[in-house]
Formats: sequence, structure tokens, C-alpha cells
Amino acid sequence: MPLSVKDLKELYRIMLLIRRFEETAFEKALQGAYANYHGGMGQEANPAGVCHGLRRTDMTMITHRGLGVPIARGVSVKDIFAGLYAKEPSPTRGRIPVYHMAEPSLGVLGGTSMVGSVIPLAVGSALATRLAGRDDVTISFFGDGAVNRGDFHEGVNLACVRKLPIVFFCENNFYAKSTPLAATTAGGSIVARAKSYGIPGERIDGNDVVGVHETVQIAIARARTGEGPTLIECETYRWTPHSTAGDREFARTEEELAQWKAKCPVMRLEKRLLKERHMTEEEIRTVDEGIKQEVAEAVAFAEAAPYAPADAAYENIYA
Amino acid sequence: MTVMTYAEALNEAQRIAMNDDPNVFAIGQDIGSYGGYYGVTAGLLDTFGKARVMDTPISEIAITGASVGAALVGARPILEVGFVDFVGTCWDQIFNQAAKFSYMSGGRARVPMVIRMACGAGLAYGVHHSQSLEAWFTHIPGLKVVMPSTADDAKGLLLSAIDDDNPVIFLEHKFLYAEKGDVADGAQRIPIGRAAVARQGRDVTIIAWSRAVHWALAAAEELAGERIDCHVLDLRTLAPLDEAAVLRAVEKTGRVVVCHEACLTGGFGAEVIARVTEKVFDSLEAPPVRIAAPDIPVPSSRPLENEYLRPERRLADAVRNLVAVSHRTARQRK
Repeated sequence: MPLSVKDLKELYRIMLLIRRFEETAFEKALQGAYANYHGGMGQEANPAGVCHGLRRTDMTMITHRGLGVPIARGVSVKDIFAGLYAKEPSPTRGRIPVYHMAEPSLGVLGGTSMVGSVIPLAVGSALATRLAGRDDVTISFFGDGAVNRGDFHEGVNLACVRKLPIVFFCENNFYAKSTPLAATTAGGSIVARAKSYGIPGERIDGNDVVGVHETVQIAIARARTGEGPTLIECETYRWTPHSTAGDREFARTEEELAQWKAKCPVMRLEKRLLKERHMTEEEIRTVDEGIKQEVAEAVAFAEAAPYAPADAAYENIYA
Repeated sequence: MTVMTYAEALNEAQRIAMNDDPNVFAIGQDIGSYGGYYGVTAGLLDTFGKARVMDTPISEIAITGASVGAALVGARPILEVGFVDFVGTCWDQIFNQAAKFSYMSGGRARVPMVIRMACGAGLAYGVHHSQSLEAWFTHIPGLKVVMPSTADDAKGLLLSAIDDDNPVIFLEHKFLYAEKGDVADGAQRIPIGRAAVARQGRDVTIIAWSRAVHWALAAAEELAGERIDCHVLDLRTLAPLDEAAVLRAVEKTGRVVVCHEACLTGGFGAEVIARVTEKVFDSLEAPPVRIAAPDIPVPSSRPLENEYLRPERRLADAVRNLVAVSHRTARQRK
């Protein structure tokens, strides 16, 4: 089904919300408000395009760079900033770095720090939803760095032999931390690996939110109707270093960054909305101001909130 | 009561749980028509079908991770990892994922799963099929660790493990699979976290688990003829540890030997003795003793493997010696 103007405006709003969140989250980490931040700025089209139109009961597993996903699925930036600041009102009262955020009621199953280890978890989610007789799908987000983990090969293989309802969504930002794709990935192509598992593979422009959404929708439809997994390689770029913890940039150049910034996913949709007269400059400014205020309020809330007392460290060790 | 083997008891527990709850499923390598390495899943495929008895590729990471993921969305997997020695291939999914999701999610997500693994030496299987690695798991908050020594415990504890909303490491001793015993009929649970007195005695407390409980009972029998009355405590669950039962058993006799099949250094016996000395030191009449395997990989030939299994042969002497030492100490105090 083609996207309506309403859909386009919603995609724009979500991308802009993720962008403003990313900018602030990065800046606050640099200022020392919390230990570290693994930014996803520049990759906003991926969480926005994938999550738009998902059912609440469709599951997503996120990466350490993936807070755009909970935002796109409806987790409030207030909750996320409380998590970044590790304060009392955060979902785990400050026990965990927010990258692992789980909100199963909104279809966010959580994430881990070990790159790629979420892939088998996502496969299990697909296994269980099918066992329960539901036609929900699971989206497994991971980065290019994950495709050389055993977790990727074992997980994709298991999903394929059991024809599970899952979409493997690789955000290829061309660098595994600091190491370029060519130095890490044999065969030179991620999507080519789909062929060896006998499933469809699509390589797409990951900065085109409409294209991302449409490609994922086809994969989701396949998964829902029992046709099995799809591997999508989504080419994109992170605008920030691996993390704010003093990471040095060896291979990435200013020229390369400038080229990708020119392909900004948010600006791209904004231009279209303006050009096709779906929104005016004034309307866009209003949306942006609303978002900026939402983010500012979330930060103020997190900064003012207290830390949980030490006994919170002992909660939820066992269910 | 019905007499059955430890393996049959484990099979029956899975059958009962799968019958009672459609969310329970079994997953692992060769667990379907092959019936699992030791026949523990025999016949489950015929009864419950392919959707719930899943044969998998040799992909320990994927099947362990998938079990965790399935548990996160409400299923209750029983995962068979043939040998505890293979757990290194999927360790990350266990100690970083399964054990921490409840904590990481503030209780929003939980991981009700059982990982069944065979442990232990005695069958000349060599370095990669014979280890006792329970101490690894007990070091990870969030995991429960269960090691039954009898068929009845195997059934009752496995039923409890499947009911549990946490990841339970269920270590089955491969030497015990064929051992027969009386097993309670029906779906009777044995609670996780509770030790059992395997033999009442007054002179020396032997604390053991899994196969070593049988060594302890044999030693107690032998020593009874020498008027040494052994009290044998079977921990059954290592995590959470039934500390109260341990302290009570030690206070009762004032002498304690911990006996396990795992290597000495960093073995769980060290933890048991540390707690005893911290909490009931004054009740001890002699220094506590650990009887454990030497710090070597498990060798393969019969004589060499027997060397590894020397705790079985050394236990009775250790008890005799402990009694002698404490009598000497008592005389000196007088």
C-alpha cells in the first residue's frame, strides 16, 4: 500500500524526533552528563522506516546504536533520557545502560552489548510467536559489524531452515567501530550472503525512509504469510564517532562525512514534503519546535531526577 | 512410587510439563527421532510433534539464543546441550543474555528456560565430554543451578525448573542416567533451593551433590562398621544455595567434608567451606576438608580417568582422618 501524506508526515516527525534526540544525547554525553553514548545520528531513516506500521505485537531487537527503534515504537524520550542519566525514574532505576532498553508491551524486546548476539534472540522470538499460533513478525536489527559473528550465521541459518517469520535488517554504516567493511567482510557484500541461505536479499538506500519502509513491508508480508526470512542490507552512515568515549577516527574522512551529510535522510523527506506542498516551512518549524521542547523537557526531567538508593541494585536479579 | 531410571524420570518430567502447558517445548541437537544423547527425550517427538520437539543444526549459539528469545516472548523452552563441555560455544547467550534480561529490563522481560546438560566423568569420554563445570554457573547472578543425584530428584526438580521464571542450569550426571530409583508418581515438584539429608548421622557431615552423593553414601556405609556415623547432605541445588541447611548440618556434627567431582581450585566446595567458616566457625572441632578432583583435564584411559576420580576413593580416609584430628584437638584442649 503506497504511503499517504499522513504517513509521510508521521515518518518525518519520527525521524526529526530521533534526530533531535540523537543531537542532544550526544552533546550531553560529551559534556559528561553520563558515561558514554553510541550515537545513531544520520541513520534515522532505518528505525523510522522499519517501525512505521508495525503491530504492537511485532517484536524488534535493537543494537547498541539503536535507540531510534524504541522512539519509533512509542517509548517516550523522557524514559530514554532518564535511562541515559541512569536516574531513579528510569525503567530499571539506573541499573543498566539504556542501550539494553526493553519495553515488550511496545514490541521492544531489548538489546545487548555483544555485537550480533541479538540475532539468535530475535530468531527465538520468531520461533515462539509461531509456536503460539500468532502471525506476528520479528525484526532483527544489527550492524555490518555483526555479519561476521557466528551469531549471525547460526541465527540466520536456523531461521531459514525453520522458515521463521523474521526480517534480518542490517544497518550497514560501513564501519565496525573504526574498521572499514572491506577489511572485515569477505566477499565484499553483505546482501550476497542471503543467497547462500536461500532467502531473498535486498540492498537498499538506507537514507531514503520511504524506500526503507516499502522494502521492509514486502519482507514483513512474506514473513507473516509463512514464506520465511528476508535479509535487507541498508546502506547508511553514522555522523558521529563509534561513541563519545574519546574514540579516534582512523579511516573515516571529513570528505566522506560531508558526502553522507549531503544525503541527510531527514532533509531529504523535508524537501519532498515542501516540494509536493504537503507541508509549509512554517508547519515544519512548528513540528520542530514541539520536538525540541519535548526533548528539552525530557532532559530537564532526567537532570532533576534523583538516583535510586543502593538497594535498587538488588532488584530483578531473578524474575 | 514407580521404579525407573534417572533418564526415564527426566523424560517423564518433560512429558508431564509439555502435556500441561502448550508453551513448553524441547529444543536441541538430535532430540527428536534420535531421542537425545542419552534417550532423555525419547518418544517426545511422537507425542508432541515437530513443532514442539525441535531438532536443530549444530549451532549452539543459535539454539541457546533462540531459546532465550523464545522465553522472552512467553514460551518455556527446555534446551538440551548434550554436554556441559560444549557450553563454551554458547556461553555468552547464557551468562550475558539469559542471566541478565530480567535485571536489564527491570522485570519487564523474563527468561523462563531450562538448559539441560550432561556432566561428569567415569565413562572414558575424555577431556571434552567429562567435565564438571558447575562452579562457572554459580558465579553468575541470575542463574539457578540444579544437580540432582537421584531419579526422584531428577523428575521433581526438572518439573520445578520448567515452572521457574528464571534460566535454570540443569546438570545431569551421565553416570547416573541408568541408575534406578523410586520415583514419585504424578507431577510432584521438588522445590529448587532446598538441600536434602541423604543420611542422618552424628559424627561427621559430608556435603555433596550429583554423583558425589553416592560416593558419600558408600563411604558412610563403610564407616558405619567403624562406628563413625556420617551425616550426608545432598545440596541438590547449588544456586540458590540452601545455606541454612548447610550450616545446620555442620553445627550438628562439628566436622565437615565437602566432596565434589569437579577440580579442586575454584570448585564450589570452596564456597561452601567459606560460608561455614564465616558463619559457624565456633562449632567446628577440626579444620574443614575438601575432597575434589585434582587440577587436571579429565583424561581418557581407565587408569588415568580413575586418577581424576580419586575423590571417590579418598573420601572415607578423609573422614577417618578428620575424626582422628578432631579427637586429638579435643584432647589437647582438655
